[in-house]
Amino acid sequence: MSDVQFSPQRLDEILTLVKRYPKAQSAILPVLHMAMEDFGHLSIPTQQLVADTLGVRLMMVREVVTFYTMYREKPCGRNLLEVCTNAGCMLNGADELLAKLCEKLKIQPGETTDDDMFSVIEVECLGACGGAPIVQINGDYHENVTEHHLDDVIAKGRTHDPI
Amino acid sequence: MIPSDPKKVTAICFANIDVPKMHTLEMARQQGAYQFLPTVLNTFSSEHIVSEMKISGLRGRGGAGFPTGLKWSFVPKNTGKPTYLLCNADEGEPGTFKDRDLMRFDPHLLIEGMIMAGFALGVKDAYIYIRGEFIHEAKRLNDAISEAYAANLLGDNILGSSYSMHLTVHRGAGAYICGEETALIESLEGRPGRPRFKPPFPAVEGFFRCPTVVNNVETLATVPAILEHGGEWHKAIGTPNNAGMKIFSVSGNVKKAGNYEVPLGTTMRSLIEDYAGGLQNGSVPKVIIPGGSSTPWLLAEHYDVPLTYDDLASAGSMLGSGAVIIIDETADLIALTRRLAHFYAHESCGQCTPCREGTGWLERILTRIESGQGKQEDIRTLEDAAKHMAGRTICALADGAAAPILSLLEHFPELVEQAIAEKTS
Amino acid sequence: MTTLFINEEEVTVAAGTSILEACRQSNVDVPYFCYHPELSVAANCRMCLVNVEGWPKPPASCCTPVSEGMKVSTESEALVKDREMAMEYLLIHHPLDCPVCDQGGECKLQDYAMEHGSGKGRYLEEKRIIKDKQLGPFVTTSMTRCIHCTRCVRFADEIAGTGDMGVLNRGDHMEISSVVDECLSSELSGNLPDICPVGALLDGPSHDVSRPWEMTRHQSTCTQCPQGCDISIESRGQDVMRIQPIEGSPEPWLCDRGRFVYDAFRNESRLLKPISKQEKVSWNDAINDSIALLKDKRIGIICSPDWSVEGLSAIRLLRDTAFKNAPVAFDLHRRDKRSFAFEEGFSQTTQQIEDADQVVILGSDLRQRLPLVMQRIRKRVLADKPVVRIGSMRYRTNSELQKDMLIRPRDWVSVIASAIEQVMALGKQAAGMQAWLDATQDRHEAGKVLADALLAETCSLLVGEEIRCHNDAAALIHGLDLLMRGCGHAEANNDGRNLIPEGMNAQALTALFAKDRMSVSDIFEDANQGKLDAILLIGSDPIGDGLFPVQAREALKKVALIQIGAIQGEISDQASVLLPASAYSEVEGTFINMEGRVRTAHHPLEVLGDQRPLWKIMMRLLQALGQDIPAVSLEELRIHMHRFIPELTKVDDKQQDAIFLSSARNRKSILPTQITLRTLDVVSRYSMYREGMWARSSELLRGAGERQKLADVIMHPDTLAAQAGSIATLDTDHGQYQFKIDVRDDISPGVLFISKRGIAGDISNVVSVDINGGSA
Ligand SMILES: Cc1cc2nc3c(=O)[nH]c(=O)nc-3n(C[C@H](O)[C@H](O)[C@H](O)COP(=O)(O)O)c2cc1C
Ligand code: SF4
Ligand code: FES
Repeated sequence: MSDVQFSPQRLDEILTLVKRYPKAQSAILPVLHMAMEDFGHLSIPTQQLVADTLGVRLMMVREVVTFYTMYREKPCGRNLLEVCTNAGCMLNGADELLAKLCEKLKIQPGETTDDDMFSVIEVECLGACGGAPIVQINGDYHENVTEHHLDDVIAKGRTHDPI
Repeated sequence: MIPSDPKKVTAICFANIDVPKMHTLEMARQQGAYQFLPTVLNTFSSEHIVSEMKISGLRGRGGAGFPTGLKWSFVPKNTGKPTYLLCNADEGEPGTFKDRDLMRFDPHLLIEGMIMAGFALGVKDAYIYIRGEFIHEAKRLNDAISEAYAANLLGDNILGSSYSMHLTVHRGAGAYICGEETALIESLEGRPGRPRFKPPFPAVEGFFRCPTVVNNVETLATVPAILEHGGEWHKAIGTPNNAGMKIFSVSGNVKKAGNYEVPLGTTMRSLIEDYAGGLQNGSVPKVIIPGGSSTPWLLAEHYDVPLTYDDLASAGSMLGSGAVIIIDETADLIALTRRLAHFYAHESCGQCTPCREGTGWLERILTRIESGQGKQEDIRTLEDAAKHMAGRTICALADGAAAPILSLLEHFPELVEQAIAEKTS
Repeated sequence: MTTLFINEEEVTVAAGTSILEACRQSNVDVPYFCYHPELSVAANCRMCLVNVEGWPKPPASCCTPVSEGMKVSTESEALVKDREMAMEYLLIHHPLDCPVCDQGGECKLQDYAMEHGSGKGRYLEEKRIIKDKQLGPFVTTSMTRCIHCTRCVRFADEIAGTGDMGVLNRGDHMEISSVVDECLSSELSGNLPDICPVGALLDGPSHDVSRPWEMTRHQSTCTQCPQGCDISIESRGQDVMRIQPIEGSPEPWLCDRGRFVYDAFRNESRLLKPISKQEKVSWNDAINDSIALLKDKRIGIICSPDWSVEGLSAIRLLRDTAFKNAPVAFDLHRRDKRSFAFEEGFSQTTQQIEDADQVVILGSDLRQRLPLVMQRIRKRVLADKPVVRIGSMRYRTNSELQKDMLIRPRDWVSVIASAIEQVMALGKQAAGMQAWLDATQDRHEAGKVLADALLAETCSLLVGEEIRCHNDAAALIHGLDLLMRGCGHAEANNDGRNLIPEGMNAQALTALFAKDRMSVSDIFEDANQGKLDAILLIGSDPIGDGLFPVQAREALKKVALIQIGAIQGEISDQASVLLPASAYSEVEGTFINMEGRVRTAHHPLEVLGDQRPLWKIMMRLLQALGQDIPAVSLEELRIHMHRFIPELTKVDDKQQDAIFLSSARNRKSILPTQITLRTLDVVSRYSMYREGMWARSSELLRGAGERQKLADVIMHPDTLAAQAGSIATLDTDHGQYQFKIDVRDDISPGVLFISKRGIAGDISNVVSVDINGGSA
């Protein structure tokens, strides 16, 4: 048994969830989301925990974790900035925006700042092109993002306030 | 309220989109939500509903434009297995962002549509597969579903009828391919979203090999109006064979990007100029991507094309999900194509050889051309590699990946030649 | 049925057949990578495209069902281009290392590149490199060569049932992977390299040693278990390089035991020269020394059932001519000492077992015993057909069984009695049932499971080692025969059940030695009691294998041992004379498997050293004993063989699949006896990696066996409150034993499960057990 465990409340929640599907394996994706929330990222012991909790093989969980981009096997910074650079956003200056952001944080897309405060990743269309360019910040969509907006985000992020 | 005179209809799915607090059950009910539901549950037969849907001429709003009533009629009866209804809310096609608005502003419309569809198909368990990034939208839906359960609009014996249905929101986790219906089913089964070959079609063997109907959010949100006002009513909106209203997500180099619901048959020019505020630069687009990034490009000469499934097909493209991306003179088409090639390479599920290897290969060639390392032979290679990918794979992602490249080569060969010539010298 | 046109030829196939299969049935070549007849369809390689008239795009033929009147063409200019492109996509990341790849010469990719490729690759970018994987001891990988056909993943899921291979990532980062090392958990892992159409998964032991085109192939029959698979032994000069399955055989796979045992064919444990008194001697001296020990002596014959039927016939000739009435024994695991009252082998084919309405497994670790029958069982389970099991341990399977009842061996009588009672209550009768019932008292609830299954229209009964090795085996088997008869599953001369035999040729043994067979422990006992002067041991190892090594050792202190064999065992130290015989891989001859399926080996491996075929040794002994030689050639020997087993005359060489069922199936009534059972029931483990002289001499199998090792003695935690690590002291008829025990709950309470090889029989009369003070 590994050290990673779900809390009793979480286990209850998982149990209720599993009943909504014909088979427990359907709950792999939602339970991985919960595990991401609880543990920040999905280490192999966490993946094993999910597999054991749902009574499926570890390989099934591994396949899912590595297929979907939202599951992270490694920790990321405190603040996660996901910049869409797909067509709609690109036509509205997303590439420049991403470059500026990286310059300000002195990192490359896909990296985390030395102080572990910010991670920046380039993502595919977020389904909100009407407000291009879009940056998803810790899960929240920010539309029509400008350079000025980014300064704000960085300042807030540094002060440990939720952005 | 949607007028019962088809000529006066200006919106179906978006009829109440701007009503404040429309996402609450209270407000939705005030606007008429669920009012017609008891009539459906207590007096309509399954056959009647399917027949009204067929008459309505509604075609799937998810991309393929397949007639919804016909799809429902393919579900076999008395198989001894449960039938499932899945709402496709994966909305991943670049340029598409309509379902998001429907779900966050008027979730009860979708829920009501699903109850009616579920009733028609004898469904006990229905799921909304929503893309993982839509965290707030998923929450909105869950809140609305809780309210609906509390009001006995979901669960056992809905509104005292003999019909029971459970509805669950299921979040994806970052994979465009899960919008493809069979990949969606795989994903809902807890697996990577790798499409299944057809036949068997989901209607016969879908979710856990049981009969399954997959419909787009907008398709399902149209159901309540059709059942309330009748199939003929819906058929009278739009043009023959292209009935109804359609939400177009307009983005790119336009002044007022956004979602606009218009009758099918409205012209592209009218959509852009009358609704989306016209272009950011110039008066006529250089390239129009009419139905999401996977659809072949149209040029300025098509600016007056009527927005119907059939007219866009005759123009050489597709209506797709109704995501219109407008590109003006300022855009770098090679960079844009390379960016889209990157998208498809990133999103290929990897199972089919041509798509797995072809998408990455195309992206690398385009990147090389863009960075000045292009070679004359690359043009031929791009064309060969793109052409033999399309139509030879399990799902249509490969076709979508090929479309921008083949469009670029077809309409702007000189741009590519130029990029190769200029930079290599 | 559906009629369609393939390249303008009219073809009729079963409805629902895929275009690709329709093409294969009509011998029309369509290239493919991911399709495999034994696996589910994945349709991912997209190599099998064909044209269908009226269809805008070329469909993949493997996943497109035929339809009435469909017009398919498999050759067109467009398809040439499509295939060329498919090859180009596949090759963009593939290393161009055919000259150093093991697969070179039998690689689909290489073949198709020649046939369908354009010859020039246009890919200029960086190639993908993928880390190699660990897939158990027998499979080496070169994952950069992988073409992602997912055959191996489907094999692990669908066939091996281990599900420990999978596909990670997506797009062109997609990667075949395994969950660290676990692939060994499949006893079929050696099939993975065969399944792989390219050189990504390689046969570890033969990796880098030779190229396919340098090999000579020897068609033979595997005698590593009663299944008797068709094998092709591949050699280069004197060396054996690998063993491969033969296409078109009844079973599509080979198990790891049969496949990797071959290193024992050529190692130092082989007996290559005659040995007398520990010295290598000439054949003449060895024969003379043997005769000195055998002539006019009372001998007991112990022989392995794995010799060819010709070899076994020669043993019978020796016995008939020179040692009338000498006892003969084959089975090293037999506790029931009554004269033989049941015959071994199957009365059904594996296909019939797969298709039956019900299957019952009684007391067998089928996955270890008969991995390919387990495979059939797995196919049933996947098709939702019922399989139930009763036994003293929930042996690991790769499929979920419908019911799995734990019982102690002493319960078998009451299980069978209860089943008989239940079927009788439904009016199903067989003469003798009542008498059998009257001899019993208790009833066991597991009998319901057995009875329910037997009531089906067709039911396959697989009777395993727990019954075969039972003290009351003959009565139990008779009870089962009564059940089969009563439920209408038996016919005249065919008891209907499938008794899993210890080795090959079970049906032939019945015909050749009938009731003269006895238990090896009887022979040792006779020797101990001074009733014998010598033991002639032909090809087995009662000390290394089986239940009676202690008895064997005692006996051999009193009588001489003359051993004839291809390989030395643990017993060989005790032999006065050792005569080298050719191995199963080195003889021409006939083999009959448990189903009665007849196989003839025609093109054996070259004989090593001074070995002689067994039959020649027998003739030589007869000659030296002063007898006329009954056969001087294999042809003459076969005349005798046909005299002994007339049914074999009907089997013609070419008609390999003939099934022959011994007509001597016995139906004499044997009633259960009240056996005084002391303390715990003893059950022994069979390990496919460690049982048998060949397997034990194989380094390859030993390595794999190490990883599957269990503790020497296992008990249920409720048995004497056993705890892992406790020391158990057993007092037995053969002395005192001490073991460190392990506890598991997949074992029946009251059972002492012995994994330690060999000794279970000697300790089966446990007088008392003492575990850290608690005793029984
Ligand atoms: C690569 C790919 C992505 C797709 N993505 C979506 C999507 O995000 N949303 C959607 O509704 N349909 C999507 N589709 C279409 C679905 O496969 C399916 O046709 C649709 O959900 C059916 O619903 P409808 O009949 O209501 O349109 C996609 C298709 C493909 C090939
Ligand atoms: S994917 Fe292909 S070869 Fe593989 S079997 Fe078919 S399509 Fe065929
Ligand atoms: S292109 Fe950026 S959100 Fe759509």
